[in-house]
Amino acid sequence: MSRETVDSSDGFLTRRKFLSLSAASVGLMSIAGLGEEASPAGATSGASSTIRVGWTTPPDVLNPFTYTASSALEIISLMYDTLMEYDINLKPTSGLAAKETVSADGKTFTYQLRPNATWHDGKPVTAADVKFSFDVVGKNNLGVSAWSLVDYESAVVSSPNTVVINYKKPQAFDPALAVFIVPQHIWGSMSTTKIQSYNNPNPVGSGPFKFKKWSTGQFVQVSRNAKWWGALPAATSIIWNQYENSDVMVQSLSSGQLDILTEVPPVLWNGLKNTPSVKSVEMDSFSFHHIGFNQSTSKKSGGNPLLLDKTIRQALSYSLDREQLVALALAGHGVPGSVQLPPSFGDLQETIPANQQFNNDPAKARTMLDAAGYKVGSNGIRVDKHGKPLSFRLIAIQTTDEDVLAGQIFVKAAQAIGVKLTLETLDGTTLGNIVYNSTAPNWDIFIWGWDSNNPDPDYLLSIDLTSQIGGNNDIFYSNPVYDNLYAQQAVAINPAQRRALVHEAQKVFYDDAAYCIMWYQSKLQAYRTDTWKGWTSTRGGIIYNFTRTNYLTATPK
Amino acid sequence: MSNIVNVGGASASDERPTVTRRPGVWREVWRDDMGRTGLITLGAVLFIILVGPIIFPFQSQSFGTSSASILQAPTASHWMGTTELGQDVLRQFLVGGRISLYVGVMATLIAIVLGAGLGLVSGYYAGWRDTVLMRVTDFFLVLPTLPLIIVLAALFGQSILITSLVIGLTSWPQTARIIRSQVLSLRERPLVLRVRSLGASDLRIMGKHILPNVAPLIFANLVLVLSGSILAQAALAFLGLGDPVQVSWGTMLHNAFNSGAMSEGAWWYVLTPGVGIVVMVLAFSLVGHSLDRVLNPLRRGGR
Amino acid sequence: MNARYFVRKLSTLSVTLFVTASFNFLLFHVLPGSPVQLLARSGHFDAAARAQLVKLFGLNRSLVAQYFIYLKNLLHGNLGYSYVYRKPVSTVLGSAIGNTVLLVGTATVITVFVGVWLGVVAASRANTLVDTSITVGSLGVWSMPDFFTGMILIFVCGVWTHVLPISGIETPGLVTGLWGHLGDVGRHLVLPAVTLMLVNAAEFSLITRNSLVDVLVEDYMLTARAKGLSRRVIIWRHALRNALLPIVTATALYVGMVLGGAIQVETVFSWPGMGLLIYNSVEQRDYPVLEGCFLLFAIAVIATNFISDLLYQVLDPRVRRT
Repeated sequence: MSRETVDSSDGFLTRRKFLSLSAASVGLMSIAGLGEEASPAGATSGASSTIRVGWTTPPDVLNPFTYTASSALEIISLMYDTLMEYDINLKPTSGLAAKETVSADGKTFTYQLRPNATWHDGKPVTAADVKFSFDVVGKNNLGVSAWSLVDYESAVVSSPNTVVINYKKPQAFDPALAVFIVPQHIWGSMSTTKIQSYNNPNPVGSGPFKFKKWSTGQFVQVSRNAKWWGALPAATSIIWNQYENSDVMVQSLSSGQLDILTEVPPVLWNGLKNTPSVKSVEMDSFSFHHIGFNQSTSKKSGGNPLLLDKTIRQALSYSLDREQLVALALAGHGVPGSVQLPPSFGDLQETIPANQQFNNDPAKARTMLDAAGYKVGSNGIRVDKHGKPLSFRLIAIQTTDEDVLAGQIFVKAAQAIGVKLTLETLDGTTLGNIVYNSTAPNWDIFIWGWDSNNPDPDYLLSIDLTSQIGGNNDIFYSNPVYDNLYAQQAVAINPAQRRALVHEAQKVFYDDAAYCIMWYQSKLQAYRTDTWKGWTSTRGGIIYNFTRTNYLTATPK
Repeated sequence: MSNIVNVGGASASDERPTVTRRPGVWREVWRDDMGRTGLITLGAVLFIILVGPIIFPFQSQSFGTSSASILQAPTASHWMGTTELGQDVLRQFLVGGRISLYVGVMATLIAIVLGAGLGLVSGYYAGWRDTVLMRVTDFFLVLPTLPLIIVLAALFGQSILITSLVIGLTSWPQTARIIRSQVLSLRERPLVLRVRSLGASDLRIMGKHILPNVAPLIFANLVLVLSGSILAQAALAFLGLGDPVQVSWGTMLHNAFNSGAMSEGAWWYVLTPGVGIVVMVLAFSLVGHSLDRVLNPLRRGGR
Repeated sequence: MNARYFVRKLSTLSVTLFVTASFNFLLFHVLPGSPVQLLARSGHFDAAARAQLVKLFGLNRSLVAQYFIYLKNLLHGNLGYSYVYRKPVSTVLGSAIGNTVLLVGTATVITVFVGVWLGVVAASRANTLVDTSITVGSLGVWSMPDFFTGMILIFVCGVWTHVLPISGIETPGLVTGLWGHLGDVGRHLVLPAVTLMLVNAAEFSLITRNSLVDVLVEDYMLTARAKGLSRRVIIWRHALRNALLPIVTATALYVGMVLGGAIQVETVFSWPGMGLLIYNSVEQRDYPVLEGCFLLFAIAVIATNFISDLLYQVLDPRVRRT
């Protein structure tokens, strides 16, 4: 062994010493941090009045035209204003427009803007901005709110502060509730294509909060707009924190790192009941989960044509016990489903008497199928008169646990009435692509759900229109009677008249049993009681709802 | 996952004394404390997961009847508690073991057949075939395993067959490398040279003279690849990429993690499949480690 | 080490990089489902916008043309455009990389020290109870999947006690100075780093022990003993240096493994790094981001391989490479 080797190994040791010194300093820093406890409640919210929200569904993009995630909408609705907005009781109230006047025929809306409204970059909000925003959406059928401007004709600037919006037909739903007002001096130079692919990295709106930071994968933060036209909120900033796992998120609420959660899964929500300083709240939601049967009549459709027989659909609906579904899939936190509109729509929901609902009557299902000529085969599966078995493919999104469970229960229930279902779970994107293939949809039955993007029934009812085939219509349902009823209610400005039409539409759709609505899930949320006060429960949720009021009225403890 | 014992083997084993066929290999493993423990544990695990489901069958269609039956602590009727669907954890565990083992075995078979086969051919023929195969092996060795498996599973599906294929396809390079270097030295031995000069066919030489000598090495490697495959499958399943219908131990942990088991303090739901994975992998590792010590006596150390 | 060897290695590196990039392209472009369909899944893109997107992604060109565009973009650092975030992939990756490097770097430093130390202890007391306990203990820890270890730590440190944060990289909404912030991140780093460290330290201890034991019986060790050098000097100065070779070789494999471990650990602890990004991108089928992540990981392993090959040459001039 030569001297050199010894010297080199000395060198090696020296290198090693250096490494150990570096490691030690990192360690020291961490230990230093261990000494500084971030105290759970007081230090953070007291010092800077930040509302810390937790969720598991991060936003996709903060573009008010093209966002798809509800989480994106939540943030956008605090940075941007609409002419009219929803108050805490989900009634329309004035937003960016101080005053709204509607003509008697319901086709002309005049808005007086707030005189002191400014954009986050200091420029004043004018009627020209309003006209621009409506034109972009209405004239190009562009963006998430396009459905509300289907009858849009024009917007006229009658003074720097006044704008008149004209529609071709009377509007039972006021589209001013749905269209975000954006600054023309920023968006005006973009082509429609650019608008649709624009990432909007530094959103400039007129709302109560300004964009501060978006740390991808971690959090989004907004800070208070001191120049907002409305009463300044007590919160100086809001942070929405992203969690990968609901369990960990709930832990963070319990340990004081968060103030409020947007959605809590049922089992975890039950577990929060006895947590000190935490209140868990259950409210009505505007959502449902359903089983959909492929109703496409396209020649290239891969769907099983037997599902076009109403008897089979109704029988399958009868096979399900919706109480059991709610008890198991939602841990009891929901309402058994029937029609498209959840109970949160109040008297607009059509009530079908329990003994007339297609629910939980396997014996009746069997009788119906027998009478229709579907005899039970040797293997327990029914066949039609050509010998074709009643065997269908069932798909669900694998990450939506309650859907997967419902699927498994459905398979068992169908088996009991002689129908074979084969369950396959897929990721959301693939399932969406399979279902929404309007030329050749190759699927039989799916399970998923809809959330209304509005407390007005228009949206949920519009999903299954013939005109929405190629759009939102997920089962390719086409019924001219239903289409007609929808069209009538959309222009019915008399509330009583509209209510009757809405009821009728739901009844028609229910009878066809193309959807088996399984449940209306409850909105489960939770918040700490020792950091902020003033969280008011309302249908649809305290936050993550159509109204942004709670963010504006909460005050620090 | 890497082959912990033979990592240094790629280059070091070129200078290793060659491994010869030893009829008493298994007997020596049994005599070795570590090996004996591993074999006994392995036997116990295999017995439990093969016989268990027959005694305690799992009905996948039976769910809890009410929300109170969800995530229950162990009781007389459910020895290891219930899942988030009210199903019996113990029964699901017993059935799940088969899936975990099945994927591990299938993946290992693919890896070994491919790896040993290619290593044999590469080492025996040397020349351009060797160079090409070694380049390919090198390429596969630099691809990070789990990310690759994840991507492949995302692209091609999640049935246990595809999972086995994907894991097997990412594990063969290790084996190929080891077998190849062994074969390279074996082909120069006097016996082999003599038989070649006598005109024996390549296939015959490979099959009759080289393969039996390489067999113990393949076997030691096989056991360790098996450990790695089981861990890879568990990781995939935990990340949600396993077969959702055929619930393996990794899937059970995925379900536990996502259904609030931690907040509920449902430690039984987490420990049961987790400990199962650890014990199964450890048993295989002990056997493999012991095999390696037997085949490389100098490893035992000390003079 | 001579220049010739270096140049040869460099050219092999380039070839491997090229092949990896091409493999990456192939992998993600033989997919069912048009990317435009995936990108426009919100259904709010009209025909003109769709056409624009097709042009933007170069999807109207042949596969070969797309391949060359892809390579050209790569050379300019353009990794494509995320389907979900509608931002350049490099932007999406940028924030995540730092967090992963922090986690993996910290874990690696601890891993090497703990693992090598344990291995040395085991080898120097070969075949005693200490050796057996360390070896079996290491095997046991190695048999634990990263995510399971993480879940157990969450139970212990987050559910039954509340000593350490169990998710994220910082406390949400925390307002402190620089040192407070560093301390906050440090506290959040502890559990994920320890989890990542455990399995790999076990592996390192096993490798160190085995290769050290191999070396300790070599002839030149006898020479050293004969010279009268103490046992400790022999082990730490001489044997370890030579046993370092397999450890160095293991480093390249280690990188591949630790990246896989990082995916699991980041998912369990919601650590916003590249591992978590991969997991989320898989769930949302954001293929461009997946493509970028995978390429970066491969490059990391290839680069580490390259460096360890060079180190190998430096550390052991006996080994001839032609």
